[in-house]
Amino acid sequence: MLWRTLVVRPATRRPLRLLTTVVGVAAGIAALVATVAASRAAVAALEQGVEEIAGRARLEVTGPDGVPEALLGRLRPLTGDAVVAPVIEEIALLPALGDAVRVLGVDLLLDEQVRALEPAVTSLPSAREATTLLTGRGVLVPAPLAARLHLATGDGFDLSVRARRERVTVAGTFAPRRFGSAWDRVVVMDVALAQELFGRVGRLDRIELVPRRGVNERALAGEARRLLPAGVTVEEPRSRAAATSRMVRALEFNLAALSGVSLFVGAVLVATTLATSVVQRRGILALARSLGASRGQLARAVLVEAAAIGVLGGALGVAGGVLGARAALASVRSTVAAVVRGVPATEIRLPLWLAAAGVTVGLGASLLAAALPLVEAVRTPPLQGLAAERPEFMRRPSRRRAAALALAFAAVAAALARAPAWHDLPVAALLAALALLGVLLVSASPLLDLLARRAAAPLARAAERTPVRLAIAALAAGRRRASWAAGAVGVAVALAVAIGTMVHSFRATVIDWADQGMRADIWVRPLAADTGVQVGRLDPEVVRVAERLFGKDAVDPFHTAAATVGRQQVALSGGAFPVVARRGGVTFRDGRDSRAVFAAALARHAAVVGEPFATRFHVGEGDTITLDVPGGTLTRRIEGVFYDYSHPQGMVVIDNADFLAVYPDDGPQDVAVFLPPGSDARAARDRLLAALGGRFLVEALLNRELRAEVVAIFDRTFAITRALQIVAVAVAVLAVLTVLFALLGERRRDLALLRSLGGTRGQVAGVVAGQAALLGLAGAVGGVATGLGIGLVLVKVVNVQSFGWTLRFLPDWGAMAVTATLVTAACLLAGLAPALAAARMHPGDALREEG
Amino acid sequence: MGRTLALLLAAPALAAAVWQTVNTPPALQFPRDHGAHPAFQTEWWYVTGELADASGRHYGFQLTFFRQGLEPGPSRPGGSALRARQVLAANLAVADIAAGRTRFAERVRRIGSGLAAAAEGDLDVVLDDWGMRRSPDGTVTLAAADRDAAIGLHLELAGSRRLVLEGDAGLSRKGPGAGNASVYVSDPRMAARGTIEIGGDSVKVNGEAWFDHEWGTSQLGPGVVGWDWLGLRLADGRALMLYRLRRADGRAAPESAGTLVARDGSTRRLAAGDFTFAPLTWWASPRTGARYPARVRVTVPAAGLDVEVRPEVADAELDARRSTGTIYWEGPVAVTGSVTGDGYAEFTGYASSLAGRF
Repeated sequence: MLWRTLVVRPATRRPLRLLTTVVGVAAGIAALVATVAASRAAVAALEQGVEEIAGRARLEVTGPDGVPEALLGRLRPLTGDAVVAPVIEEIALLPALGDAVRVLGVDLLLDEQVRALEPAVTSLPSAREATTLLTGRGVLVPAPLAARLHLATGDGFDLSVRARRERVTVAGTFAPRRFGSAWDRVVVMDVALAQELFGRVGRLDRIELVPRRGVNERALAGEARRLLPAGVTVEEPRSRAAATSRMVRALEFNLAALSGVSLFVGAVLVATTLATSVVQRRGILALARSLGASRGQLARAVLVEAAAIGVLGGALGVAGGVLGARAALASVRSTVAAVVRGVPATEIRLPLWLAAAGVTVGLGASLLAAALPLVEAVRTPPLQGLAAERPEFMRRPSRRRAAALALAFAAVAAALARAPAWHDLPVAALLAALALLGVLLVSASPLLDLLARRAAAPLARAAERTPVRLAIAALAAGRRRASWAAGAVGVAVALAVAIGTMVHSFRATVIDWADQGMRADIWVRPLAADTGVQVGRLDPEVVRVAERLFGKDAVDPFHTAAATVGRQQVALSGGAFPVVARRGGVTFRDGRDSRAVFAAALARHAAVVGEPFATRFHVGEGDTITLDVPGGTLTRRIEGVFYDYSHPQGMVVIDNADFLAVYPDDGPQDVAVFLPPGSDARAARDRLLAALGGRFLVEALLNRELRAEVVAIFDRTFAITRALQIVAVAVAVLAVLTVLFALLGERRRDLALLRSLGGTRGQVAGVVAGQAALLGLAGAVGGVATGLGIGLVLVKVVNVQSFGWTLRFLPDWGAMAVTATLVTAACLLAGLAPALAAARMHPGDALREEG
Repeated sequence: MGRTLALLLAAPALAAAVWQTVNTPPALQFPRDHGAHPAFQTEWWYVTGELADASGRHYGFQLTFFRQGLEPGPSRPGGSALRARQVLAANLAVADIAAGRTRFAERVRRIGSGLAAAAEGDLDVVLDDWGMRRSPDGTVTLAAADRDAAIGLHLELAGSRRLVLEGDAGLSRKGPGAGNASVYVSDPRMAARGTIEIGGDSVKVNGEAWFDHEWGTSQLGPGVVGWDWLGLRLADGRALMLYRLRRADGRAAPESAGTLVARDGSTRRLAAGDFTFAPLTWWASPRTGARYPARVRVTVPAAGLDVEVRPEVADAELDARRSTGTIYWEGPVAVTGSVTGDGYAEFTGYASSLAGRF
């Protein structure tokens, strides 16, 4: 009975209000689920892949940029205790698929002892095909991939390896053990073929050890370390996964934190709505109490409503989140690709835990949000409720207390913003952002007051009986709830402004960086996957062709390989210092001309490092760094620190001559060509492409095109962030709409009185619309201020702690003004419906109700 | 996958023309010819023997290294050194005669990986930590162990007085066509001492071993599905090696042959018509269902030999599909009849045809 009265009836009578509340929760949950699901999918290939593909291997012998194959022989004393298996793991573009595939090069003679791949029944390789696996170009293809590309045993297909078109033959297909396996996108070939295709002759990515029966793994690892040279590590496969996922973790955390903020907005909305609905029904609640309903029963009713909203919103949010994740995948993928090269993303999947977490968070947020209204519902003495007196918690709040609280929050925020990162994650900084939102919430009410008085003063003089004064009075009466609404709007605006500020600062910084640093006229790189992610490197032949055409001093091949500092992976790159010393390159943070820095670095065999590297390892200009590289260590003085927004894990650049003394020339990442001033870059590009012929799958970008692409990549990377911005604004509008309807209900009597005292319909509508506009304005003003504060934290603290790069703080003032105006206008518009409803109200009815 | 790939070791010679073939009696030179002959496609070093510990408990053992060429000629320029142009496989079996049990282990790896090599100057074959090596004094050292099968072998074989060049001065004809032949060198009596490990126990042993070394290219003639081989040391000091090349109908191919080594080391070639080989009973494998000869009557009328060869362990079927891609029976046998003795028997091609593989 109580359930029907308190929950079902209001829900059926006011479906719109229920809907907006549920949608509010759903929006928050959807943002959260979408972010998590999309980033999981982008990273999943990485994490599951490592262990699934490791098979029975328990230990891996690895080194920076792999190990020489000669180490196999060193491990001979271990072969009685373990199967010793060489592995090359690379990435290649499969043009027919338009995407990257993992290429696993193994010793096909004995790999069954490591990974028992089930041959697909229909295609056992014949002896002839099997022989091509070892001596020719035969490969094994997962059956699902073969089916998708209509490949049968014996068919040839192209792989783009180091931008070269390489024809291989299907010698057999295998069936991945489970659906959606990491094996679905793995082309298996003999380790020797992989070495030849990828230009890694003489080298291996790792050597795997499968312990034989009764062998102690730790003892085996110890023995292996004893046999191997320094700089080679012996670790479990999962530690490799861990190293990579550490790099991705910061990224994932930031995305999840951003969506968490939108959930926070959702929770504020739920609280507002529930509080409103409790107040609206305080008559019924009071009646129920006076008719003998216990406090517990009432509490249960309110909680049930909150729970229903939470579960419904949570479920809707999960569903919406999965759809959103599909849309967001490309964005997240390119973000992940910036950190981890060439991981093929898996399909979006909704793990049960994520669905459960989505609903649980929705439920939790709703129940939490119900706390205050719950107290209100339970505490309301029957008589007061029936007498239509002010609810207790709506009494004028203490301004002093609010100020003290706001100050406390601000102090906490300031302290947190200065706190160091926690395990490389900007946890404290994000808590600081939350504290800033706290400042906003507690100061919403005084701010409303202030605004109301400021707005009222001139208006009151101008028109003694304008509806503005009434609106102000009405707002003052419903201050608490109104302040909630203003708070909700403010949080949403703050979020939008903060994200906008961060993105704008980042974008402007990156554009500036690209304009200054990208000075070459043509860039050549391997053809990218459909997702825009670059796959692999260029064949060294491309460099030779470019050098023949344009001269050695005009060509800058950029090599990149993995190295470690301590045990942390960084990118070690080689560039043509003699070329950039003349033509200029990146921007150095100390403001020196890049040509001078490179010339000095060339003369002294010094290195230049990216800013994230300097931040991560606490080094700077003039310091000396030591990297673990194949065959030993590399010690270099840091000549300069340049701005870098592409390698958050840290990047060290040395001259190519030094680089190629350490690493074999297995092809550069890209090649930059500098033309003499006044040259026709387009014609030069045509000449280059013609010279490369059809042998290579490359793309050559002109300077302008590359810079445009940098911006495009940036925008794609931040697509999710922008979507969250929109969610925030949508939530703000919903908040205003909900609250205004509630306020209207509460002020029915006052409005009716106004009408019966001779107020026109226009005036009544004006009162309501004015309320809405004031709410919007208060929210916008508070939100912009808070948003700027949070934006500052995001730009100056979160980015540095997460990625190690500094951005300039460049708020987008124009966009901010537009946001504030739009939100206020949206609130005004949102207020129109209630305003019209109020105008249509018959004063007699409203007054009679009180009877 | 490994199982199907291991077939490679027995894959047809795709470029047989480029592999050298055995056509005339070889001019053998030792120790050089104890080493590997990579110009030929197939080669093996095969040691079998009977051992006894101090308490008189008897064991049979087999350690074989197979070399199979997959790609002849010089390696391609710029090619990987890891290309499996030559592959080594090894089979190790220890038969506990009293327990009636055979334990088996195998290894396979490409030559050139730093973990597998077959030297050319003298016998020195290495596969993982298994090895077979000949010292300048003629001693052959065998080392192989496998944790999973719980067996191990560490033996020294004392060099014998004289090598036996099987067939026509070492040319052992296996088929009618040109090149259907191998070079086949044996040492039927090498004194063996050392230790074996079996089921976690290490046992000091002494005994006698039979050493075979054989190489060639596409040796088998058409229509041959397998062979039966015997290497018998007779109590009167003689030794008998014979192989019967079997056709699909079970009959022997005319190239079946043998060698009778006299007490003084002189040899007598046996042609197909000089001996009989007649299975008396059969043993069926519970695992593969293959039927192998068990007791066999062997006669060499001209030498007055009429013996029964009896497996000392019934189940000596070896599943080597992970290394050589074959399943065969190889185990110790006892000889009774006109003369007693012991030795090893090998029955191949019963689980599946070997046609076209060797």
